Amino acid sequence: MKEYTKLFLPLLFVFLVVSASQRAGAREIIRHEASHSAVSLSHEQGALTAGETGWFAFTIDPRDGWHTYWQNPGDSGAAPMFDWQLPDGVQLGTPLFPAPNRLPIAHLMNYGFKDRSTILIPLTVSTNYKGGTAAFGLTAEWLVCDVECVPQVASWDFDMATSAVAHDSADIDPTFADARAALPALAYWGSELAIGRTTSQLTVFMDEIELEGLQKAYFFAVTDGIASYAAEQRFEITPEGLVLHIPRERGAITPVDGSGVLRLSYVGLPDQAVELQPKLTVVPSVTSNNKIAYLPIWQAALYALLGGLILNLMPCVFPILSLKAFAFVSANYKTEANRRREGWAYTGGIWISFMVIVGALMVLRAGGAAIGWGFQLQEPLFVGLLAILMVLVALSLIGVFTIQLGFEGSGQKLAGREGVQGAFFKGVLATLVATPCTAPLMAPAIGFALTQPFFIVVGIFSLLAFGLALPFLLLSYSTRVAAMMPKPGAWMIKVKQGLAFPMLLTAVWLVYVYDLQTGATGALWLLVSAIFISFSVWLWGQTKSHVGRTVALLIGLMSLGWLVNVSLTASTSAPERGVYEEAYSDKKLSALLDENKPVFVYFTAEWCITCKVNEQVALFRDETQAALREKSVVVLRGDWTNRNDEIAQVLASYGRAGVPLYLYFPAGSRNAVVLPEVITVSSIIDVL
Amino acid sequence: MSKSIFLAGFVALWALWGVHPAVAFMPVIGEKAPEFMGVDSKGERVSLADFKGKPLILEWTNHQCPYVKKHYESGNMQRLQRQLTEAGAEWVSIISSAPGKQGYVDAATAEKLAVSRGAYADRVLLDPEGTIGRLYGAKTTPQLFLIDEQSVVRYMGAIDDRPSSRRSTLVGARNYLLEAWQAFSEGKKVVLASTKPYGCTVKYGNIGE
Repeated sequence: MKEYTKLFLPLLFVFLVVSASQRAGAREIIRHEASHSAVSLSHEQGALTAGETGWFAFTIDPRDGWHTYWQNPGDSGAAPMFDWQLPDGVQLGTPLFPAPNRLPIAHLMNYGFKDRSTILIPLTVSTNYKGGTAAFGLTAEWLVCDVECVPQVASWDFDMATSAVAHDSADIDPTFADARAALPALAYWGSELAIGRTTSQLTVFMDEIELEGLQKAYFFAVTDGIASYAAEQRFEITPEGLVLHIPRERGAITPVDGSGVLRLSYVGLPDQAVELQPKLTVVPSVTSNNKIAYLPIWQAALYALLGGLILNLMPCVFPILSLKAFAFVSANYKTEANRRREGWAYTGGIWISFMVIVGALMVLRAGGAAIGWGFQLQEPLFVGLLAILMVLVALSLIGVFTIQLGFEGSGQKLAGREGVQGAFFKGVLATLVATPCTAPLMAPAIGFALTQPFFIVVGIFSLLAFGLALPFLLLSYSTRVAAMMPKPGAWMIKVKQGLAFPMLLTAVWLVYVYDLQTGATGALWLLVSAIFISFSVWLWGQTKSHVGRTVALLIGLMSLGWLVNVSLTASTSAPERGVYEEAYSDKKLSALLDENKPVFVYFTAEWCITCKVNEQVALFRDETQAALREKSVVVLRGDWTNRNDEIAQVLASYGRAGVPLYLYFPAGSRNAVVLPEVITVSSIIDVL
Repeated sequence: MSKSIFLAGFVALWALWGVHPAVAFMPVIGEKAPEFMGVDSKGERVSLADFKGKPLILEWTNHQCPYVKKHYESGNMQRLQRQLTEAGAEWVSIISSAPGKQGYVDAATAEKLAVSRGAYADRVLLDPEGTIGRLYGAKTTPQLFLIDEQSVVRYMGAIDDRPSSRRSTLVGARNYLLEAWQAFSEGKKVVLASTKPYGCTVKYGNIGE
């Protein structure tokens, strides 16, 4: 209710000023026919009175089919311009424009008027004004367009008399009454406008009753940088009131003023237009002058290759690599040609998977989805299927059953060939689990690559794939290493069974991610499906009868279907967080920065191993937490486990395509210190 | 076997790539400018990559637009073109008017116009389908972009701070492009890197026309 009185007072004031001035005889000063429009200038009181505020009305009447412009003309066009020469002691106020309309032109949008419109201009005469005849000069320029535009310009000189007392007049010019009726009403609702990177969000604190029957809402911003004019604005009715989502061009000018006119269309009622002066919050601008905006291509390529190599050491890839290593143990029993073929099949598996992921990523992004690297693990279904695959591979290694995917080598075939298909498949698997683990070196390169033309993207990711494949590819070419491999024997069965356990650990991690994405019940169903699917695979192997196999197939398909159903319908729940930190939102960050508080923001995801490791070894350590508390730093956590457009945009603005990202805003600064992707206790404490 | 997988994957990828809408990329200050390709008034192919290593100015123009006329008839635009091209920039004027609409010209007329206007632009790019215009989000004539040697957008928006068609407003106007150019060539940060362009709407045709 406070907002009500705060906004009601100026409204009252305007009303008083207006009624106080409606006393003298209005006078038409100018009437002018231009090529494509007619204009007139009137003064409401007809004479100047010391200490009083009077009103000019400038009316523009364009030819049929032509239009004129509002104070913000939209994508193109121009607002009317006035150059005044004023006598001493007379001052003009801000012109008041009627509520504007939308005028679409091709895919662009103009704001203006198809018919006659009147601009009201207040003029105030100082109290010690001497009197006599006052000389005015006015040059006006107004643009009239249909598809083409014709600027109209005219200059006039005129005199105005002074009257000691503004006397009452019965004939109030309808021009003024009509012009006032066409002005947007001053809103008595409070409002807020938050400028994000690609959307501005306008919140108007209206009652639910006031929103009943609302069909359309559109906000005409006075300044540039708030709205993409031609875009539709979607409204939402929330307990807080009306929330309007206004699309905005990325990289547009940062506005300093949020005021504008809100047009509301209700069922069966004429449109309402209200003037809003919302409280403006702007998300700290980081897009310009970003130091990661571009990277020399050779450097990105080098990072990619190194990053790929380092991926081999990441914990998430390890189980797959141990399988690969195991296959390699039998190397001295293969021909050189076979070894090489398998080495290339493995490389090919990695390369193709990288290309498929990158291709999907680029296509989805071009379609407007805000996703980034590792996005496939944001899909619960994918995580669930990967977890089950890990379980099946582990069971196969232990010897519960044999899957013919190149993991063969059971029994007498143990020392046999790995097989080209097996090598290829291992490459695919390695890539799938490796993407969320992209080595720290890769972050700038991936961020850079995704903004580049297609062939550069392909090149960079090919190098990354090649880097990942390189160690085993090189090994497959070395006869000396092959010769060093021990003789196969019974020990290999034990090693193979042993390798099942790191595989199961990967599955556990995936179940954990799935749990965070879908909740405990979801995780339960995943585990149940995993057991049923394992059972059906086992049953299939045990029986040769049609009935048995049909039953196995049915069980397998039904549990698979159940998992798909659970994954797709799961309500994505946000994970629990500590009490000391808050969830990230653009709005919250700018509010904190407005209060000049120091803020530490970290972006993480449950499937991001680098993030988890950083958190355990640096961020969550007591020393770090103590330092943060001591400096009263507010910690914001951006969780990217599930898809989140807001976070994707923040990452993009720092040239990143994925997590982790660590930002520190020192007190009173809107520019973030960007911490490296691998953080330590001291690297955090140093920036504080 | 694996060969055919390679091939299938590759083909699928290129096919998928074909569907991406160009609209997804708009110029953003500090980021790479959208790749464009077009034909100029001399019938030569022109693409963004041709200008790598040189600063590039893109100017959307329409010789019949009163706002453009203000800058050409006063010689203001030609002076600016001359100053910047002599300082090492490449200047490309782009006409995105659709056939039949204001400002549309064929190659021969564009050539004649360049002579009669005394323009110092290096090339005039003809974009009657509005592809490049839409790619760059060009809204008005005139509208300008400054793109650096690495194809990164440094300035975009209006030519100056006077959204008027009157020549007299040029006196004392703040030329944003010149200001951006000076900061850029001294290796400084461009303070006003993005401004609201003013002038006539770019006379686009309807998509598919």
